[in-house]
Amino acid sequence: MRMDSKRNDIPPGDDKSGRTAIKVNGLNKWYDEFHVLKDISLSVSEKEIIVICGPSGSGKSTFIRCINHLEPYQEGSISIFGEQLAKNKKSAALIRDTIGMLFQNFNLFPHLTILENCTLGPIWLRNIPEDQAIEQATALLDRVGIAKMAPKYPGQISGGQQQRVAIARSLAMEPKIMLFDEPTSALDPEMIKEVLDVMIDLAGSGMTMICVTHEMQFAHQVADRVVFMAEGEIVEIGPPDQVLKNPEWDRTSQFLEHVLSH
Amino acid sequence: MDNQGTQKNELLKFVPRPNRPPITITYGPVGWLKKNLFGNIWNTLLTIAVFFLLFLLLKPFLEWTVLKAVWSASTRRECLEISPDGACWAGIFPWVNNLLYGLYPDNLQWRVNLGFGIGLLWFLPLALKKVQQKMMIALMGVLLFPFLANYLFLGGDRSIFHYTIACSALAYLLILYVNIGLTYLRCKRIEQYLEPFMARFSPKNATLLGHLTIWLIVTVLLAYIFRNQALEHVSVDAWGGLFLTLIISGVSIVMALPIGIILALGRRSEMVIIKWFSICTIELVRSVPMITVLFMSVTMLPLFFPNTMELNKLAQVLVAVCLFAGAYMAETVRGGLQAISRGQYDAAKSMGLGYWPTMILIILPQALRAMIPNIVTSFISLFKDTTLVSIIGLFDIMLMARNIAIDKNWLGLHAEPLVAISILFFVFCYTMSQYSQRLEKKLDTSR
Repeated sequence: MRMDSKRNDIPPGDDKSGRTAIKVNGLNKWYDEFHVLKDISLSVSEKEIIVICGPSGSGKSTFIRCINHLEPYQEGSISIFGEQLAKNKKSAALIRDTIGMLFQNFNLFPHLTILENCTLGPIWLRNIPEDQAIEQATALLDRVGIAKMAPKYPGQISGGQQQRVAIARSLAMEPKIMLFDEPTSALDPEMIKEVLDVMIDLAGSGMTMICVTHEMQFAHQVADRVVFMAEGEIVEIGPPDQVLKNPEWDRTSQFLEHVLSH
Repeated sequence: MDNQGTQKNELLKFVPRPNRPPITITYGPVGWLKKNLFGNIWNTLLTIAVFFLLFLLLKPFLEWTVLKAVWSASTRRECLEISPDGACWAGIFPWVNNLLYGLYPDNLQWRVNLGFGIGLLWFLPLALKKVQQKMMIALMGVLLFPFLANYLFLGGDRSIFHYTIACSALAYLLILYVNIGLTYLRCKRIEQYLEPFMARFSPKNATLLGHLTIWLIVTVLLAYIFRNQALEHVSVDAWGGLFLTLIISGVSIVMALPIGIILALGRRSEMVIIKWFSICTIELVRSVPMITVLFMSVTMLPLFFPNTMELNKLAQVLVAVCLFAGAYMAETVRGGLQAISRGQYDAAKSMGLGYWPTMILIILPQALRAMIPNIVTSFISLFKDTTLVSIIGLFDIMLMARNIAIDKNWLGLHAEPLVAISILFFVFCYTMSQYSQRLEKKLDTSR
């Protein structure tokens, strides 16, 4: 609970604390006839940590994939640091320079070594000389605690280690915002902690984060605000104590009962 | 937290046992025989029966090929007189030269040997461990070597441009080998010796500049040395035998992969025109027999070119075979592309990689790796399919082998040449398949 005291006095979602990192306005998305996201609006300030939870199929993954332009959407707008995203190369560069993303299935590149996974982006996209990129990647791997795995391939290490490599790979691009799409769902219980520790460490370093996760303990510990989504809508939003302890809506408390009884 | 900590200290500390090497069960060859072939009375009987059948089957073959075979005779009649039911290998020997080189003049065959020797030398470093930048070497080989080979094989007066590229190819190879030698002697590469000097002009690309400078110097030097060495022209019509087979299959194997990759990517493209062009090409070429494609290339291709342009048959055939091989390869590559999970695209995209970098750095290496067995199978069948060019009158090894049977000395000698080239084809194809298996093991990153 180290940074809670600091965070609690920041009015959540308020621009006073700094610039607005992400602003989502009236986002709507359909898969054919199915309305996946219904009028989602959310403003995230810099260095804020948002945890999104909700039952499966509620559109939370789709939502953060939209922020990263991995999914097209039909209506609404998303802007990153005041710049509105459009479907062109310029916003691709903006996303690349500001947003990093973590996936449920790690999605490391299996044909490259751990080190190469982390140096690929810097070398090819940020034009950093190879030796410098290797140095930087080694430092990052050290930070997530797996520097000695550098010459191995993703298939040779455990899931928790793979997810930590994925974090290092994202950090190598020096993002200002990190999106986490259920980063611990595919992990064995033993390995969840090692990934969460890295994420907590990251939260403490002032990264703007949006995490889709079912780890309520984690949400309590680091989140500035918790967003509860159901049926493609934001049902409830507020500080973790409010949403997780005294939810306003019955849909939220139903879900929490399910998750916490595990 | 502290409570838990002290509690944990009181528990017994778990130390994993050291790993033991896996148990290996070796009975030796005798043990293996006992266990697998003579385990019980039934097994023993079956083994004996199978071996007896094998013996019955193989005995006549062995008699024909070795025991009753004739190795030296001057005509087929003589062969039959010596041993009427043995193979007449004597008929192959006078034709060996033709089987290998076709009608290429005897005194110029060194050029063919030299060309293939240089080709082998070029791709040999790819198998060496200490060599760096293998992709570059292979790429340069594919780009430059054809010019050099063409210059050697065809000869005659060629344009200064062609001559220069041939010399630059030779220069590249020379520098490559000097550098390999230096690497194994633990010295610096040539361009690194030049680096301090080159750094004056461009500190960033000093090594590259050094390499280019040396390359240029050696090229000019070679061009000067060979300036009066005119090679006698050998028409493509005289090319033949294994030489021609290797050229056709080599070119089509090298070209099939890039054509296939482009068509496969085109087929999955979101751009409608490119997509439909790729689909039409693939489906049209795939649904026509190769012989038809070959005939069409010889009879129809000239219609598309001006009358004054003289096309050689080999070039036409090469275009046809490459297109055919490319269309098949496209579907193989597409299979590989489909095996790549969406997560890989997501990861590449969220990293900010564009379409081509994603394909070249992330997707294709994985797709091609997964498809190595299929790709090599295509290569092998392509290699064998090139024998079809004999039908449109190119003197490849197949036509040469059949010509033995109409030689007046060896009239009717059909089986022996076919067996001989079968053995030759087996050697080539088996090598390819073994190489692919080695490659697969080497590239397997999951273990």
